[in-house]
Amino acid sequence: MYTNKKECVAMLLAGGQGTRLYSLTRDLAKPAVSFGGKYRIIDFPLSNCINSNIDTIGVLTQYKPFDLNQYIGNGQPWDLDRLNGGVFVLPPYMKGETSDWYKGTANAIYQNIEFVDKFSPEYVLVLSGDHIYKMDYSQMLAYHKDKGADCTIAVINVSLEEASRFGIMNTNPDNSVYEFAEKPKHPKSTNASMGIYIFNWAKLRKYLIEDEEDKTSQNDFGKNIIPKMLADGQKLFAYNFSGYWKDVGTISSLWEANMDVLDPSSGINLDDSSWKIYARNTAEPPHYVGKDAVICNSLITEGCNINGKVSNSVLSTGVEICEGAVVEDCNIMPGAKICKGAVVKYAIIGNNAVVGENAVVGEKQDGMVDGQWQITVVGPNAKVEPNQVVPVKAMVD
Amino acid sequence: MNNAMSIIFASDHESKLNELTLHRTSASLPVYGRYRCIDFALSNLVNSSITTIGIITRSNYSSLMDHIRMGRDWDLNRKNSGIAVFPPYASNTSRNVFKGKIEALYGILDYIENSDDEYVIVTNSNIIASIDFDDVYEAHVQSGADITVLTYNAHPTTSRRVLVESDLSGRIRGMRITQSASDELCEIGLYCYMFNRKQLIRLISDSYERGKIDLEKDILQANLDNLKIHAYKVKGHAALIDDVKSYYRESMAVLDSQIRNSLFYSVGKVFTKVKDSVPTRYCEGAEVVDSLIADGCKINGKVENSILFRGVVVEEGAVIKNSIVMEGGKIMKGSRLNYAITDKDVTVTEDKSLSGSENYPVVVVKNKTV
Repeated sequence: MYTNKKECVAMLLAGGQGTRLYSLTRDLAKPAVSFGGKYRIIDFPLSNCINSNIDTIGVLTQYKPFDLNQYIGNGQPWDLDRLNGGVFVLPPYMKGETSDWYKGTANAIYQNIEFVDKFSPEYVLVLSGDHIYKMDYSQMLAYHKDKGADCTIAVINVSLEEASRFGIMNTNPDNSVYEFAEKPKHPKSTNASMGIYIFNWAKLRKYLIEDEEDKTSQNDFGKNIIPKMLADGQKLFAYNFSGYWKDVGTISSLWEANMDVLDPSSGINLDDSSWKIYARNTAEPPHYVGKDAVICNSLITEGCNINGKVSNSVLSTGVEICEGAVVEDCNIMPGAKICKGAVVKYAIIGNNAVVGENAVVGEKQDGMVDGQWQITVVGPNAKVEPNQVVPVKAMVD
Repeated sequence: MNNAMSIIFASDHESKLNELTLHRTSASLPVYGRYRCIDFALSNLVNSSITTIGIITRSNYSSLMDHIRMGRDWDLNRKNSGIAVFPPYASNTSRNVFKGKIEALYGILDYIENSDDEYVIVTNSNIIASIDFDDVYEAHVQSGADITVLTYNAHPTTSRRVLVESDLSGRIRGMRITQSASDELCEIGLYCYMFNRKQLIRLISDSYERGKIDLEKDILQANLDNLKIHAYKVKGHAALIDDVKSYYRESMAVLDSQIRNSLFYSVGKVFTKVKDSVPTRYCEGAEVVDSLIADGCKINGKVENSILFRGVVVEEGAVIKNSIVMEGGKIMKGSRLNYAITDKDVTVTEDKSLSGSENYPVVVVKNKTV
């Protein structure tokens, strides 16, 4: 018999404003920010889903959704244009007399209970659109079933110093969770929540409705739903993930993650035919490397035109580097142009930005530790005037 | 223009491409790092809103089918119109595959008759040019032509060329079909035509019934006096690829930024099958100049004045000069290529050297290991 039924539906939270990315998210949602040369952040969870055989995905959008909507389109680049299922963009909508913005992560799913119900799934996978990682969700789902859990939370081992920046899961020897501490001052363990959850839908549905009735709740998974389920004695399990995972919510971490793509030992290998990351293609010709170009240790993609010196950098689609320009340790987003003689170091250059002739942006940094890089940013469509000097950590809008 | 359909010939006069078309039609000949020849015809048509496209194949067409699939990458997977691929036509009475374009068109006359478009673009697929068919249409209507022949200026080669002589109004008064090379710059037909559909049907039926097979000779050349046949000179860069020499020369021409701009950025985008390759990685030992590099490559050697297709690996100490390395090529440590064309998935093992010359590049056949 033909039905709409799906075993597992993914709900991807993509409504965040991404305020800590400043001008990079002024005009677009964080999941739509460019990454790794030809990708956007959202390509990672979408590709992970399709590679894990999850073909029904609701993408919850709220903040500046146009770029993201257009980018997702009918889902074809991810093979998500399906007769039954596929990818759905779900903005907040009118219900009877009322309408509400998504008040929190849990509320966003609550407002789309009817959407999930249409597929009568046993399980719901909750994802967020601001992490770079490759993960097989089908293994996590198998683990969830095996443990007979009500909720499984993916965790990654972080250093003790970092632990106080995350939601920490304290677990029993069988990996069941007995305590959840949101950004604890004195962490008891180093199992950080990755913001990836699998719930039994029937149970989550009930908790979402109860949470909505509780006027004091912030309608957040980490702050409300998970603690409530724990308090009620539901079976929560931690699922250990050991691959590459990075939250790219800050300028520094976004830059770092791009540099990780350059480093074969970082663990985020994009050139893996068994786990491809898919992206919408822009139909540009191969990149051209000019007579005076010098390129080393860099990633360069279609539509680029390189005539200057590029090292330790990631260049996105359609970037132009003119003669005599020097680009070191940078992430340059689509369509940006670095004019003759300009020197750009340790910087993120936004979409279609122009760095004028002989301008100087950022400078070399030594001996920094992760998370503390002083990265200079030239925002999308911004212009750095010829000969202008943009100091370290400045942001040009 | 929304009142035209198109018929593309996937193969024509490809015998001189030798090894390069051993396993494929000239339509699916790989060019410029990530394209196949037919991408230009398809993209030009789509960019001019012509979306009813029939492709006539003759032999070796599986690589073409794999490239085109349902036409999605050109936005041609439509409910109405879209792409139709015709396998080689053989009538029930004769068991032979069609001999010439007239017979081939006669074989799909139903398809042309079923359309209600007013015009038909009939084109070869080995044309490299960015053509604005809206502009061709305007010229066609303005001149009141029965047939418009697209042309470009070039030197005749030893491949079959249609030389046209037109008067001041653009009407073609003389036509020579020749295979002798010359240093003289001539106006040459691009094997791309605009017909009025109903007239094309009449011309094809009539010529077929009279046993004619050659479209250029029996329909164009024979009718210069009876029909108004006009020339339309294509703007920007144009070329025909029909032998190894022209393939090599045209490939290298794209390293010139003016020609690159004319082909890729003047009229519309050039679409092709998307393969989701990663960006190209330049390693510590990379030294690349004056080259066109597709995605998915890994470069740790020297590349100069060359074209690398998707997924090519250049190992440490390898040197590639004046060469074309097609998809999946692997050039291992210490190897040297000069004036070479290596077809798909060729491996050149360590410390080998391949060298040809500018007018006679060495060609290594698909899947071979040197």
